[in-house]
Amino acid sequence: MKRRDFIKNIAAGSIFLNLNPGLFAQEKTIPDLAVIQGESPSQITKEAISALGGMNRFISKGDEVLIKPNIGWDRTPEQAACTNPEIVKTLVELCFEAGAKKVKVMDHPCNPAQRTYVRSGIAKAAKEAGADVPFPNEHKLKKVPLHGQHIKEWEVYRDFLETDKIINVPITKHHSLSRLTLGMKNWLGALGGNRNQLHQDLDYAIVDLAAFFMPVLSFLDAYRILYRNGPQGGRLSDVRLYKTVVAGVDYVAVDRMGAHFMDMSQEELTYLKIANKRGLGEVDLEKLKIEKRKI
Amino acid sequence: MKKERSKKYRAIQTLRIISQSLFFILFFWLLVQTHFPGKDYIGNVEIFFHFNPLIALTTLIAARAVFASFVFAAFTIILTFVFGRFACGWVCPLGSIHQFFSFIFKKSRLLKPKKIKNKLPTLKYYILICILAGAVFSLNLVGIMDPFSLLYRSFAVAVFPVLNHTFSNIIGLLYQAEFYSVADPIAQFSTTLDINPVFAQAFFIGSLFLAVVLLNVYRERFWCRYLCPLGALLGLFSRWNILKLTIDPKKCIECNLCTIHCETQANPFPNDEWKSSECIYCFTCSAICPTNAIQFPIRPGPEKIEKIDLSRRKLILTSLVSVVAAPFFRLSPKSARASEKLIRPPGALPEKQFLEKCVKCGECMKVCPTNAIQPVLTEAGPEGLWTPMLVPEIGYCEYYCSLCTQVCPTGALRELTVPEKTQVKIGTSWINKNRCIPWKFGDPCIVCEEHCPVSPKAIKLIKIEVKTPEGEIKTPLAPVIDTELCIGCGICENKCPVVDKPAIYVTSVGESRSDKNQLKLDLISGSGGIY
Repeated sequence: MKRRDFIKNIAAGSIFLNLNPGLFAQEKTIPDLAVIQGESPSQITKEAISALGGMNRFISKGDEVLIKPNIGWDRTPEQAACTNPEIVKTLVELCFEAGAKKVKVMDHPCNPAQRTYVRSGIAKAAKEAGADVPFPNEHKLKKVPLHGQHIKEWEVYRDFLETDKIINVPITKHHSLSRLTLGMKNWLGALGGNRNQLHQDLDYAIVDLAAFFMPVLSFLDAYRILYRNGPQGGRLSDVRLYKTVVAGVDYVAVDRMGAHFMDMSQEELTYLKIANKRGLGEVDLEKLKIEKRKI
Repeated sequence: MKKERSKKYRAIQTLRIISQSLFFILFFWLLVQTHFPGKDYIGNVEIFFHFNPLIALTTLIAARAVFASFVFAAFTIILTFVFGRFACGWVCPLGSIHQFFSFIFKKSRLLKPKKIKNKLPTLKYYILICILAGAVFSLNLVGIMDPFSLLYRSFAVAVFPVLNHTFSNIIGLLYQAEFYSVADPIAQFSTTLDINPVFAQAFFIGSLFLAVVLLNVYRERFWCRYLCPLGALLGLFSRWNILKLTIDPKKCIECNLCTIHCETQANPFPNDEWKSSECIYCFTCSAICPTNAIQFPIRPGPEKIEKIDLSRRKLILTSLVSVVAAPFFRLSPKSARASEKLIRPPGALPEKQFLEKCVKCGECMKVCPTNAIQPVLTEAGPEGLWTPMLVPEIGYCEYYCSLCTQVCPTGALRELTVPEKTQVKIGTSWINKNRCIPWKFGDPCIVCEEHCPVSPKAIKLIKIEVKTPEGEIKTPLAPVIDTELCIGCGICENKCPVVDKPAIYVTSVGESRSDKNQLKLDLISGSGGIY
């Protein structure tokens, strides 16, 4: 190598390193929460996952993955009652890229599944990315001990019990009993039975369910936020464009961040307080390492 | 004499069976397709009904209304003018069912065709007269006996739910045996079919259908021979048709096989007693004839003699009886005062006009995505039997859905776009504070408010004070109804966790189709309020 070339290479390399400071920074710590804002739901999803260290951190080769979006209502994506289909699609793609053998996307909706799966746009988006989108099937309900402090046992769809990994993908919505419906409340969609009776003890039920399902990753869709008339809204004026997603392993912290978007403190959300007291996760934003970016 | 059956007519018979099968498959396929199609608007799945001249005629008379779709019915009439009751033998799906079961019963020796000496009176003509005479007084009873309505209703309300249940049992067994890889796709497929599984009258309507089918044990195509009013109507137009049965007297050995095996009572032998009004052109006679004596040459012009056994005296008598009988169907308080439980689907015309047009076919019951629409038994009086109503305990009216209004073949449910439909009020919701969990026990619930689909919500939450039996005072959020915003969809009643008798329920009052069934003066003027 000529000396001139050597110097040239060093110059080029230092420029390259300058532009990509993370390249050699192996020691770089992974944040608790990735909060990414941007125009494209799919881009911010990818960015949030890579900020957490990439999908390989959560999904291993050959895994069966169940992705649980909120497909609860017969509403279109613009009405922000169900998870953004593009986000679901991107997560399915990332799972397959990480080597997942099979990805299922399902929910037990409040309105007929045949309608919500279609009108939310989620069935189409998930299928395009190669996921299975099974309807909830009463034959697959199984009564299992939840080991909760309030709910001892309940009927759960076996799809949730017999998978390797679960990813929770809720949307940020107003709810008049639990105040907000985020990730921890999303687990009501894994249940059968007379789940409407859980509302009589909702905050405790939410915590028991969250502790039972233990997703490897919680991914909160706050691209559109339903800030009133939740959990199904209806008018476009009930929706606020927030263009943000939150990803994290600590599902309590993810919900805490969602509450922050809705200008609520941890004191206002009873189930967050309960979950924190039970040591399930962090609610103090000061104590969390948050990577917040706009792309 | 050379004994040889006609190859030509046996081939025509095969063609007829193919035609019957194809039309039955079409009918069945359209029935299966009558569910949420994955978009807001469904195609013409009700097209079969438009080709039915009996429905067109009674709607025309009863509702004094003309529809563009009558063109299709006119097509059937013209076809009958030219080819006789060809539609009965080659097209009608109910006729095909009867012929199929007659065949099964013959093969299983339950039914042995013989020469019938005591011919039953041609009851079907009298049934037709009753229906048409009733229609003059705007009493539309066609749906009870119309073959398409009967078949569609029976399939939607009884046969499909039974099949669905059987299917579900089998899937359950597969899951029990842990054959997941087999059971999963079958279960997914059966959910995709979207069959409404629960009907309060499934047993009643199903039993009637079974009875109609079992009548074939007594006589071949019993329904088509004696009962079918559509067949009777087509029979009236068949006299001038061009295909006339002719027996070659040189070949005929007078074995009577043709008359014994005639599917109806067209009576091929002797030749001059053959009735074109009864013949459905199944060609059984010409195919079974051992000497190939029976032909159907093209021979225009009317039959020589009037062949319908209707004496003028009986005709007048039947008409008179019908005229007197028509009010009989209305001697019910239901026609004077709205029934609280009679929640009609969205788009329903005001009750009187609705009853004039509804043909009780069950299209709306099949298409409803939540199984909410059920056949009426007593809530609408005798004339409203099997018309549709919403039963919120079973299902509710899905907010962004107007499918029932799109599939109604006669416009008894006015066709609505989805935005139009969301403006329709079909009833009003009420809270039973004696059973409501917050009102009664002071515990949190709000399930009704959560499910209320309108925005802003028609169910509001207010903080109340409740004294428990222990004397403790609780302050839960409790639901109250804004009757002006409430559209009566019934999802609150459907989802109420007080499962046996919901603590929130819908009654028909306030329905936007009615002038009379209103709650308060200020509701009409639109100011409304919370009750």
